[in-house]
Amino acid sequence: MADSASGATDKSVQVKLVLLGEAAVGKSSIVLRFVSNEFQANKEPTIGAAFLTQKCRLEDRVLRYEIWDTAGQERFHSLAPMYYRNAQAAVVVYDVTKAASLEKAKSWVKELQRQANPNIVIALAGNKVDLVQPSASTSGTTSSESEDEADDATATPEETAGGEQAESLRQVPRDEAEAYAKEAGLLFFETSAKTGEGIVEIFTEIAKKIPIEHILASTRGAGRPGAGGRPGAPDGGVTLDENAAKGKDACNC
Amino acid sequence: MSTISTQLRNFKEPTKEQLTQLFFSLPPTLVDQAEQDGLEKMEINAIVSLSDDAEEDSYGGKLHLIPPYLSFLSVDHKSVRFTIPLCTIRRVEKLNARAGVYALSLALWHGMKVVVQLTSLRPTADLFCSLLRDALKAELQKGHMKLVKGFSKTCYSETLVAASSGMEENPSTQKLQQEAEQNSEGNETSYHGGLGLKYKFPGDPRRLREASKIKLWTKYLEKHGRNLTLLRYPQCTRLTQVGLPNRLRGEMWEVLSGSIYLRFVHPGEYLRILEENQGRTSTSTEDIEKDLHRSLPEYSAYQSEEGIGALRRVLQAYSFKNPELGYCQAMNILAAALLIYMSEEQAFWLLEVLCDRLLPGYYSPSMHGTLLDQRVFESLVQRCLPMIHDHFQEVDVQLSVASLPWFLSLFINSMPMIFACRIMDCFFCMGPKVLFQVGLAILKINGEKLLEIQDDGGFIHLMRDYFASLNESAYPDSQDPRSRAINRFQELLLISFREFSTITDDTIHAERRKYRSEIIYSIESFSKRAAVRNLKSLERFTKDQGGLIYDALYRAMCIAPPPAPVLPPPSLILGSNDDKPETRIGLKTFRVFLSEVATWARDEKIIVNGFQERVDREVAEHEFIDRLFFFWDTACRGALSFQDLVSGLDGVMFNDLMENIEWFFNLHDKNKDGYLTKDEVLTLSESFLFIFRYEVGDAYLGAISRFMTNAFEYGDTLLPRPEGEAEDSPPPEIGHNQPYLNLATFRMVVLADEILESFFETDLSASFRLEPVQLSDLPAGNVGFLGDLLSNLATDDNKKLFNRFTDQIGKTIGKHQVVHRPAIGRYKTLEEPKARESLLTPSMRRSPSKSTLSESSTITSVPSSVSISTDVSGQSTTSAPAGHETSPMTMVQTANAALMERTPFAIDDAKDEEEEDEDFFGDEDDGVMDEVDAFLEAHDNGLTQVERDVAKDLLNAKPVS
Ligand SMILES: Nc1nc2c(ncn2[C@@H]2O[C@H](COP(=O)(O)OP(=O)(O)O)[C@@H](O)[C@H]2O)c(=O)[nH]1
Ligand SMILES: [Mg+2]
Repeated sequence: MADSASGATDKSVQVKLVLLGEAAVGKSSIVLRFVSNEFQANKEPTIGAAFLTQKCRLEDRVLRYEIWDTAGQERFHSLAPMYYRNAQAAVVVYDVTKAASLEKAKSWVKELQRQANPNIVIALAGNKVDLVQPSASTSGTTSSESEDEADDATATPEETAGGEQAESLRQVPRDEAEAYAKEAGLLFFETSAKTGEGIVEIFTEIAKKIPIEHILASTRGAGRPGAGGRPGAPDGGVTLDENAAKGKDACNC
Repeated sequence: MSTISTQLRNFKEPTKEQLTQLFFSLPPTLVDQAEQDGLEKMEINAIVSLSDDAEEDSYGGKLHLIPPYLSFLSVDHKSVRFTIPLCTIRRVEKLNARAGVYALSLALWHGMKVVVQLTSLRPTADLFCSLLRDALKAELQKGHMKLVKGFSKTCYSETLVAASSGMEENPSTQKLQQEAEQNSEGNETSYHGGLGLKYKFPGDPRRLREASKIKLWTKYLEKHGRNLTLLRYPQCTRLTQVGLPNRLRGEMWEVLSGSIYLRFVHPGEYLRILEENQGRTSTSTEDIEKDLHRSLPEYSAYQSEEGIGALRRVLQAYSFKNPELGYCQAMNILAAALLIYMSEEQAFWLLEVLCDRLLPGYYSPSMHGTLLDQRVFESLVQRCLPMIHDHFQEVDVQLSVASLPWFLSLFINSMPMIFACRIMDCFFCMGPKVLFQVGLAILKINGEKLLEIQDDGGFIHLMRDYFASLNESAYPDSQDPRSRAINRFQELLLISFREFSTITDDTIHAERRKYRSEIIYSIESFSKRAAVRNLKSLERFTKDQGGLIYDALYRAMCIAPPPAPVLPPPSLILGSNDDKPETRIGLKTFRVFLSEVATWARDEKIIVNGFQERVDREVAEHEFIDRLFFFWDTACRGALSFQDLVSGLDGVMFNDLMENIEWFFNLHDKNKDGYLTKDEVLTLSESFLFIFRYEVGDAYLGAISRFMTNAFEYGDTLLPRPEGEAEDSPPPEIGHNQPYLNLATFRMVVLADEILESFFETDLSASFRLEPVQLSDLPAGNVGFLGDLLSNLATDDNKKLFNRFTDQIGKTIGKHQVVHRPAIGRYKTLEEPKARESLLTPSMRRSPSKSTLSESSTITSVPSSVSISTDVSGQSTTSAPAGHETSPMTMVQTANAALMERTPFAIDDAKDEEEEDEDFFGDEDDGVMDEVDAFLEAHDNGLTQVERDVAKDLLNAKPVS
């Protein structure tokens, strides 16, 4: 952690983001994919919430995501407000192969809309789409082969299923979830932490929707938005521009 | 959907006696059992001395006989303490000593002789001795003495001492020692141990100075007993504070925490639980599976099936033993750490002690203990480190984001294992206050940097960096090499115990008491909001009204708890996480619920006795209420959920006249065919009678009787006649349970009566009131001097006592009066409204059939004027049990005593001691003792020189023959 502890000292805009959702839908995996572009069995025991940071570039602006990845067990629910308070963004995750996980996601959304920061940007993410896609398209993304070994497949026994079988694993139709998201005013994505599909997009779209000027105004010492921004990504951060696809070499910061 | 728990409401603060038992780590079930067996507890002042060669001072303190244990605590509450199972006492002798000195010599299983001088008056001492004798006899009879031998073989300390005992020769204890050696014969390697024995213990044994620690402990254990009989002298605490040796650590954790007593008295239970539940799955077992591979995964044993298997078994066994708690994330980390140092069985019992006593409520489904202690910690920070607290407030940083895992996983998840283990050593030895002391010290050490952080994230980063640096020198720039050798972890412990020594068990208890209700309230309102939010439909209620319904349900559950959901038999479970148990209430709870929201579902008696006016409330029971229960149970589950109640109430509370009539009709139309049978018409009339039972005057009674007459007249008239028969022919015979009256007819009959019409128009809906019923909702105007006293009575019990007392006086002076409060209360006087002109045309009028008449006579069986019963004759209408007649004078005394007994408010007396103690490292040799001495605290044995001499003398005294 070379990075100095206080975010207010550099020019970046700090965005507090919380991940919520039923246990084992892939919250930690999504964060890991975003922060270090890896996919592996989760080794970090999470007590309450894990805390990670990732710097990103959006157009001429540097964002510093402070990510709180909450513990999934139901009884930790009452601790969640501690982590979503003051959050500017939330990613509520469900598992497309588990209908009940969408119900839980909806209840998180309701809770956030009533209890959290009123301006919070919420994204709904249907994770594990790789499980419901024909295997041909799964290999479309880069660098997932080597990591397949690391995945100990605890939750993915059907990995080898062909296209039709795979589609039958789906319990949450895309249309249904998307319609719900639209109605509730959420950003919507289908993602796979395993292949990387849709992951960076979540954070890009959130970044676009966040009222950055607002945050800047309220953060002291960071009053010069975008001043002196270099065109390249700042040391090892993720570039959230349209041409993000090439810059997938994000690493932990 | 949500489960609703009323657990927290039922919490009772531990009594002083319970606190003592908690302090000495006594298993409550055993103590209770002994009490049931008639064995008495007693405490007595005593001076304890240990056989000469142990070179220990004598200590004054309190000796507690709490069968089947004997415990001692020195006056300063820290220097000396022990808890000894009575079955390890081999011989008790009364000593022949100076006149006026009363002393006993206790020979323990491990060969030590403890001399206790009872300093109380002789009769007291005699009593203590005889109680001790009884308790010992009981243990002997139960055969517990015989169990000690086998059990001690499972303890590593025996092996340790046996290996070195050859060198020791001491005449005074030789015989007992030989005995002890005999006892431990044939003791190869049957002792329990952890995964560390095979997979290595974390840390470098040389740097940890394992060998010299083992040597010091061996010496200590020889002289002061071990496992079941360990006597804890200051040296024991000091040796623990510098870190237990790895091989002995597991056993010492058991002994210091007291879990060894559980393992001792429950032989084989661990394996039995596993066997009985083999193959069983549950939400807990699923959650456990998910976490097995993320519990200290860097430790090699947890990369093997052996380690994972052990972890799985211990966690599962605990979840089966305590299904209500089950499994909570963080327990995996604790268990993984324990298993490195102790066997599965040892870890299982220690986990029990952790969840139950040392970290109470931390892992329960509501995690209230965790939330409470976080609140307590915050308040201690405010008191001890006000600058940090203020800064956190200012920049809106929440302490818990960092401190929660410290408490929840005993720092294992936060710092390197070797250091976390040392905190656990201290925690088991000195109790939960250690977590607070260490937490405060961490903040204090990082004080300056903490004052610069701006947000939660910065706080977390700072703490991470600090924990990663614990191995580094605390004084890297110091001239003195000794100071440079002190690492930051040692500095942390020193500051914890020196600067925060004012944080005691009592501080923690007092703080917990202070914040408990606040925490419970916030947990309850959190789950209330969630329950209301998660309703599938609020129907036409507002959120606040939904909350009121929830409150009524909650109160009902407190009064009549629904039976706990039964675990289905193992074979039937496929363990699906989706099917979370939703709270559903049965009929019994429903009756209480309804009495909270419907005026007619409770019996309210207004009692006037000349001193006070009060309302006594009882839950009504009637078939009508049961009918409503099944009517609302649309899914036919035999139980109602919160949603069912909301939907059910919605079905009646928003109705207009016609809807209410229909609702009432449907409620009584059991088979839902759109017709009431004759029987159902009668039941319906009884429902009316029930609802109107306390209305003033005869108006309602009249209305019901007219209703019945009309219902049967219409019913008969409108019955379809067989083909060809005239309209006015006699009605056909029809069975009691044949379709008889349809909705239209029912409506007509009801509308024929003004009273019933107004009932359905407004009164029925209005008889449901969601606002909580006030307990004593009478104005305090005319209550007199005793009324003031009433407002001072703290508890419900006191109030009941007081009520009985005033009733009694009221009766004696003829002022006792009981009035039932009506459910509708439309008519305050006895005036009776006129019935409407009958709507029936003369041609339709028919005399009621005979059968109808005979059945309608049920009316007369209902008491007609129950509404007022004034009691001036001095006899009680409240049914006080006969045995409770107490004279008024003693009642007044009791009431006064109850007043005096109110617990005083806890006064915060912990001070913020700011000792600057820079030169605590002496200049002795390197090695363990160096660090030990750093912890040396002045201890006070509470004795004068004379007392000390007597105690020394006693060690050489001869037993009385
Ligand atoms: N196939 C597949 N498996 C995933 C994906 N994301 C997570 N998983 C697996 O799902 C399980 C739970 O993931 P985790 O990130 O720990 O979930 P969390 O409890 O929500 O943090 C792990 O075994 C992951 O390997 C995904 O996108 N595709
Ligand atoms: Mg996770």
